[in-house]
Amino acid sequence: MKEFTAVLRNEMLKTIRRPRTFIGFGVITFICLMLQGAFYQDGKEILSTVTGQFENVFTIQGHILNGNLICYILLQTLIVQMPLLVAFVTGDLISGETASGTIRFLLTTPASRGKIVVAKWLSGLIYTFLLLVVLGIFALIISRAIFGVGDLMAMNSEGLTIIRADDINWRWGCAFLIAFLSLGVVASLGTMLSCMMDNSITPIVTIMAVIIIFTIIGLFDMPTFEMIKPFLFTTHMISWRSLFEEPLPAKTILSSCVILFFHIVAFLSISIYYFKRKDITT
Amino acid sequence: MKNIFLILLSFISFHACAIDDPKTLIRELNKKFNMVSDYTAHVDMKFDIPGVKMNRMSGKVFFKQPDRFRIRTKGIFFLPKQNPMQNMSAMLLDTNSYTSIISGYETVGGHNCAIVNIIPLKNISELILGKFWIDVKNPLVMKTQITTKNNGTIETENIFTSTSHYTLPDEIVIKIETKKIKMSKLMSADLNKKAQDKSKTDALETGTIRLIFSNYKINTKFSDNEFTAADN
Repeated sequence: MKEFTAVLRNEMLKTIRRPRTFIGFGVITFICLMLQGAFYQDGKEILSTVTGQFENVFTIQGHILNGNLICYILLQTLIVQMPLLVAFVTGDLISGETASGTIRFLLTTPASRGKIVVAKWLSGLIYTFLLLVVLGIFALIISRAIFGVGDLMAMNSEGLTIIRADDINWRWGCAFLIAFLSLGVVASLGTMLSCMMDNSITPIVTIMAVIIIFTIIGLFDMPTFEMIKPFLFTTHMISWRSLFEEPLPAKTILSSCVILFFHIVAFLSISIYYFKRKDITT
Repeated sequence: MKNIFLILLSFISFHACAIDDPKTLIRELNKKFNMVSDYTAHVDMKFDIPGVKMNRMSGKVFFKQPDRFRIRTKGIFFLPKQNPMQNMSAMLLDTNSYTSIISGYETVGGHNCAIVNIIPLKNISELILGKFWIDVKNPLVMKTQITTKNNGTIETENIFTSTSHYTLPDEIVIKIETKKIKMSKLMSADLNKKAQDKSKTDALETGTIRLIFSNYKINTKFSDNEFTAADN
């Protein structure tokens, strides 16, 4: 355990020292502030594209443009970009060291190969968690401070769902948990590919390619794709949105969480298995 | 025999005269409604709008003659643009602005109602045709169907119990024909769901808003700020 803690501490320090670690925090902060500014300026106009459909018949009373809606839009936007930020860091956790040759020194420590992989994977997860904390602070807390708190008008393909303000905090809590689970899958995939490859660029590019391809498949309603979709982890990564539906599709959300969890377990197991048998030739 | 026939004839002609005159019915109705200069009430709202999922909510209603109306509540809710609560009374009060005829009789909620058609005299009004089902025994608007130039047709059904002597309903069911709200897949970023069938979203569906009133406070002379103050 002592060796493991030492390796984990060491990995955390390495992660902090790399400049690319902070790109993620910078990108999230920038996107949040940029979109908040845009919505502060033109939010009502942007929303009228949605509300304009029924403005002839209904008047919508109440404070629509509030912090909860901004957080919902930000999360919806960033959930596509955040896996790429996670991939930047986790994609070269091991392959970066393999490429630079420092992996040999690392393997001379008393910690087993399995422990080294788990420590690197955990440091990736901690980084992912911190990214989500920053997102939570900017997307939810600061949005609420700027735009106020109110009912959420959640947009989905079936229309609008109004979630009452007093019924929303637990949904945000669960949404961020599912987002963590989703990004955990990307971090685990990054760790796995990093174990398999000997340079730091290929795993990062591979993760990006996988996410882009899977997302594009998810966009089209084609019978062939419909068969594939349930097996793609990207399909389950956006299950946090189901938390903002009425009635709550608890079974679907739970099954998505289980699938995401098994992806993490599978990717981590493959990483350990592969790294234990890996020949260090560099 | 002759006397009986005369009595019967006079009764029939009197009865016919009373219910065949829409102005009498409206006058009786307005007399009752004019007793209310303002009111507040608690309101529970239930929504069944195509393409919109929302839970019931409650709030407070404020009304002042002739047509100032507001529901104050925390949160988002939908009301018809042509608010029947606001317009119905104002529409009937100005008897010089319309002509009225009875187009038939119908039973609504166990009440025998005259169907009074209101046609505006001037073309400047938003109203095209107002149909009011008015109880002939105890003049109360049991049902309305208001057709306007821009906002289509809105139907309401009123249920009266405790405050019927003021013509204030305990429940109003508002029915509106509207297209289902549609959201593109990219706009909603809902990758897991299939896009909606366009033919289904283009069809008109009936949306229902149910307003249940309780705890009426009539003629309390509340402040005008209630109509302008921001919701908490």
